[in-house]
Amino acid sequence: MTDRLSSGSDRLDGTLGGGLMANAINFLLGPPGSGKTILAQQYLFHNATDRRPGVYFSTVSEPLEKILRYAQTLTFFDRRALGKSVLYEDLGGVLNEKGLPGVLARVTEVLREQRPSLMAIDSFKATRSYADGQEGFRRFLHDLAGRLSAYPVTSFWVGEYESGDIIEAPEFAVADAIISLSSERRGERESRSLQVLKLRGSDYQSGLHAYRLSESGLQVFPRMADPVDPSDYGLSDVRIPSGIPLFDAMLEDGFWPGASTLVAGPSGAGKTLLGLHFVFNGLDTGEPGLFATMQENPSQLERTANRFSWSFKSPGVELMYRTPVDLYLDEWVYDLLGTIERTGARRVVIDSLGDLRAAALDDIRFREYIYSLLQRCSRQGVSVILTQEMPELFGVSRLSEYGVSHLSDNVVLLQFVRGKAELRRSITVLKTRASTHDPRSVQYDISTAGFVLGEPLSSSEALSS
Amino acid sequence: MADQNPGIYSIGAVGRMLGVPPARLRTWEERYGVVTAERSDGGHRLYSRDHVEQLRFVARQVEQGTPPGDAFRLLADQLGQERWLTAPHAEERGLLIMLAERDPFSAEFGEYFLRTEGYGTVLAFDFNEAELKAEERSPQLAIVDLLIPGGTGTELCEALRQRGIGRILAISTLESRDEALAAGADAFLQKPLEPLKLVSTVKDLLGASAYLR
Repeated sequence: MTDRLSSGSDRLDGTLGGGLMANAINFLLGPPGSGKTILAQQYLFHNATDRRPGVYFSTVSEPLEKILRYAQTLTFFDRRALGKSVLYEDLGGVLNEKGLPGVLARVTEVLREQRPSLMAIDSFKATRSYADGQEGFRRFLHDLAGRLSAYPVTSFWVGEYESGDIIEAPEFAVADAIISLSSERRGERESRSLQVLKLRGSDYQSGLHAYRLSESGLQVFPRMADPVDPSDYGLSDVRIPSGIPLFDAMLEDGFWPGASTLVAGPSGAGKTLLGLHFVFNGLDTGEPGLFATMQENPSQLERTANRFSWSFKSPGVELMYRTPVDLYLDEWVYDLLGTIERTGARRVVIDSLGDLRAAALDDIRFREYIYSLLQRCSRQGVSVILTQEMPELFGVSRLSEYGVSHLSDNVVLLQFVRGKAELRRSITVLKTRASTHDPRSVQYDISTAGFVLGEPLSSSEALSS
Repeated sequence: MADQNPGIYSIGAVGRMLGVPPARLRTWEERYGVVTAERSDGGHRLYSRDHVEQLRFVARQVEQGTPPGDAFRLLADQLGQERWLTAPHAEERGLLIMLAERDPFSAEFGEYFLRTEGYGTVLAFDFNEAELKAEERSPQLAIVDLLIPGGTGTELCEALRQRGIGRILAISTLESRDEALAAGADAFLQKPLEPLKLVSTVKDLLGASAYLR
């Protein structure tokens, strides 16, 4: 029944169960620079109309001049709306001269005169120091909340509150919604997160959601924690070749569509090349491919591909390069899913997991994302290869892959083998789901044709690896 | 005096009520100084009901051809001789609406928006008061909050209907369209009330704007 208010961003609205409730009292909390003011203005500009405008009250913490100076750099800031559908007003003077009764009087006057559908008070927290004691402040809150509830207006009470304030500060008793913005610093990296702490009358996505501040406002990357979905989804039973015939034979007959395959091995073993085989083989089968790399830049990777007579300039293959510096897992996953959708990719290579892990805050979050990503790909029949670098050149004591081997359908190991005079390589299928596989380690060389598989290793050779 | 009759109407609202452009109201105040609006904390003019009646008197004189200066002298004369006691009940001139509302903030907004459209209003905050005021003042339309204390709102709708109140607009925070219509209300609006919707519904129910009478 209650209307929802859109932020202009589908992802943020989704986090809020479809949007904020219209005519509610919403708190936006966070430290300085977290984007509270930007978010409030985003709502105003997106929803205000000439007939039902949005009013932005600044109080005493940030001068209105400054709010406007920075606001004009935002893409949603529409100069033509100023003074018509979006009105800015400084309440600082009123507050200093007449205190809280003055604020009440002015708010009432604006509600009667301007008939706004949205109103922001920034900073609301600053009003508390003008109260005549705790009792006076509660009276003010009661009167203000009473007016804002009697009139159809959605309000944003913006403040530099901290999490402890939510329990103690009396203003939160009148809150219909509380959105908290915070940031966490790890080394040189800063991760911003948005959390919905309360949303009366609606479900919402719990937990911390990453966000960035850009000139288009607050961009949210909702935490991806897809629940296990037991429902059936039909996939074709035509197997997907890897592009390396003898390797397909080891896998029974290539991969199941929608399968995820972890390829682990030390540096130089050929993980990236195996991924290239997979993606470029899609050109033969008419399946668009996507190579998502953080390892090599486009020129380097194109040069590598050229050595094997492939090119990323071919239609049907897409290269998504993101530098691992300043990479944010949340943003990257949304980016990847968007690119898969745009290109219709059926084969995806992610090179490499280690770079993604470094871009995640913690292991749990990392696994949640990878699990959700693989689930979404699987349900769409998109087959994925993930590469994982292992530190040991010879021998493997454990797969240090952050638990991803449990999440992937197949696990393939690339290793170096000590030969008599030369270094040799071997490939072993450790696990296949819903399929049988050749358990032997098979020797391979890398030529201009790519992977060339040879004979299985003898047991003594296998032991020496 | 100021407490009994505080400034509540903006210059825009007074302009609409009297059919006089706000710029002319400002000029009158600056030039003649007879009717001086209070100022809000934000510096905006706020007119009391008395102010509105005094300006209505002037506007009427001007309409009949009296120069504004003379009209204000006439007004000042009356005020000086204390012949101007108080504003006549607005409702005596036109349509009267009873607003039976549990929430004082909602009542304040509702009253303001109806008055700025020229309707007379009478407020009641519980069941008994509503019955009493309906008996005393015979409003043409009653706005009934279905959650009014002291009885049920649907009973109040029925009681008012029996008292011969021709038009009933039921309102509630809860979606109560069916209950409202079953109780004999002519229309239902869910709170919070949007001013334009409130006024246009009232106009529709009464079949006339307050100004057109």
